[in-house]
Amino acid sequence: MSGHRIAAITRRLLQGFRRDRRTLALLFVAPIVILGLLGYLIRGSASAPAVGIANEDQGPLGPIVASALGDSTMIKASAIQAADGDSRLKDGSLVAYIFFPADFSARAQQGTIAPEVHLEGSQPGTAGPVLQALQQALATIAAQRTGSSLKVEPKVIYLYGGPSLDRLDYFGAAFIGLIVFFLVFVITTVAFLNERSQGTLERLMASPLRRGEIVVGYMLGFTVLALIQAAEVLTFCLAVLKVHNQGNVLLIFGVEALMAITAVNLGIFLSMFARTEFQAVQFIPLVIVPQFILSGILFPISTEPKPLQLVSDVLPLTYAVSGLRDIMIKGADLTWTSLQIDAGVVAGFCVVLIVAGIATLRRRIA
Amino acid sequence: MSESFAVDVQNVSKSFGTVKALDGVTMRIRQGEIYGLLGPNGAGKTTLIRMIVGIVEAHAGTVTVLSQRMPNVAVLRHVGYMTQAAALYPGLSVEENVRFFAAINGAEKGVKEALELVELYERRGSVVSTLSGGMRQRCSLACALVHKPELLLLDEPTVGVDPQLRVQFWESFRRMAEAGTTIIVSSHVMDEAERCQRLGLIQYGRLLAEGSPNEIRAMAGTQNLEEAFLTLAGQKAS
Repeated sequence: MSGHRIAAITRRLLQGFRRDRRTLALLFVAPIVILGLLGYLIRGSASAPAVGIANEDQGPLGPIVASALGDSTMIKASAIQAADGDSRLKDGSLVAYIFFPADFSARAQQGTIAPEVHLEGSQPGTAGPVLQALQQALATIAAQRTGSSLKVEPKVIYLYGGPSLDRLDYFGAAFIGLIVFFLVFVITTVAFLNERSQGTLERLMASPLRRGEIVVGYMLGFTVLALIQAAEVLTFCLAVLKVHNQGNVLLIFGVEALMAITAVNLGIFLSMFARTEFQAVQFIPLVIVPQFILSGILFPISTEPKPLQLVSDVLPLTYAVSGLRDIMIKGADLTWTSLQIDAGVVAGFCVVLIVAGIATLRRRIA
Repeated sequence: MSESFAVDVQNVSKSFGTVKALDGVTMRIRQGEIYGLLGPNGAGKTTLIRMIVGIVEAHAGTVTVLSQRMPNVAVLRHVGYMTQAAALYPGLSVEENVRFFAAINGAEKGVKEALELVELYERRGSVVSTLSGGMRQRCSLACALVHKPELLLLDEPTVGVDPQLRVQFWESFRRMAEAGTTIIVSSHVMDEAERCQRLGLIQYGRLLAEGSPNEIRAMAGTQNLEEAFLTLAGQKAS
């Protein structure tokens, strides 16, 4: 071992980085951005889940609990009519509603507190705060009635999914989209970059090929691979992992395919901005990680801080995840407006990225 | 303009940042001519070639190729371009590479002939990443001429090619030129320059001198081209 020779290697490495400002920026800026984003997302979630309170109790207890829920900081409670509950869950304006039936007080007298908790159920992590807020609100009554035993038996009713759904069922739907998006994006970016670095792109430019033909040809080639991959991922999730699925398998595949085509075009577009494979890989923390955090896979978008919701709204993965959950957990079909919107937006991203890719190809080679 | 030129470069200039790659270059190349671009590294030869195929746009001046003002995609069907580094797909076989470039030019029929010309027909199944530098260069040449272009641009085509094959390369260039193909070849190998009908000496982005090898020698008053080139380059620099 020669310290001198080792030092030469170390020095050479650091010298290379000194000129690669982008890598340096990534190394020191990306962690702050990603952690900052996560911190803001988790701590800054000002918007608690929107919960409706439908009180039909003829006794005194319902209003007491309802007002205790109204004071809770864990949820954003609002009074609703019991009859509107399910439709409010469906249109997404509520994640849950709590219903106090007419005999709520009467049954409490007999020792059983039995409110109904209706959960939308298609997104993970929303049931927790609702049940917790309810528990706290009920504790106030329980404290008033010391002595006799009170049984708290909230009846939990799911609009979609149900208690049998585990984490994998929630995340599986989203991950099917994420995995395809991620891998296809990486492969396309690096392959298109190779075309540039090995000089063949220059040759293509000096041929009768039009730029649109190059981009569309690439898109079709990678789409073939991506579709095979999507089919494999889907089969594995449904047949081996037994991820819960309410909907049509072909529809899931359709959304995945749109996602894959978007990833291909995003990869082509972004590869124009990388000079080396190293720089291309750097797009992962910049492009993939924020989408992973903000696309509603981990946290429902409705509970994100407002500024982040705006970001979520312009990420293609957000719509793919929402579409996949609609199909797999809610059993949506193409007659659902929400699914039409999700699929339409993802398709729109595709078109925009194809055009952007063609435009950038022109500018970067001339 | 009474005579029609395969390539007509009029007063073109191009800068990359503060570096002037080309500075008011004018040259006309006749059909069927083998024209040699000579000059040291960084003189602007590659930029000029890239401008002729329309990949680089001139800041000033015009480039006309086969009567079409460049850049023009349609005319590229009749142009073959061999880049400096053998630009090939390393994961494909020799034949697959040539076939690809044939297909994008709509000339699949020429594949066998092109492979035979560069003597790679026997090795057509070999994957490019396993080939030696010289063989890659030959494969690259096959890709450039598979569609029988009217204008062939070769950026240092014989780098890494052994002497016997270099002779064969030049023999095929000569035959192609006789059949009417215009060939522009950049080089800094002087014995190759001897084989060109006309030469253009380029330095610092300017065309220093132009003429047949004999005319160039006469201009400089030297016995060989290498000395002629050094003399002419030195005169302009001082």
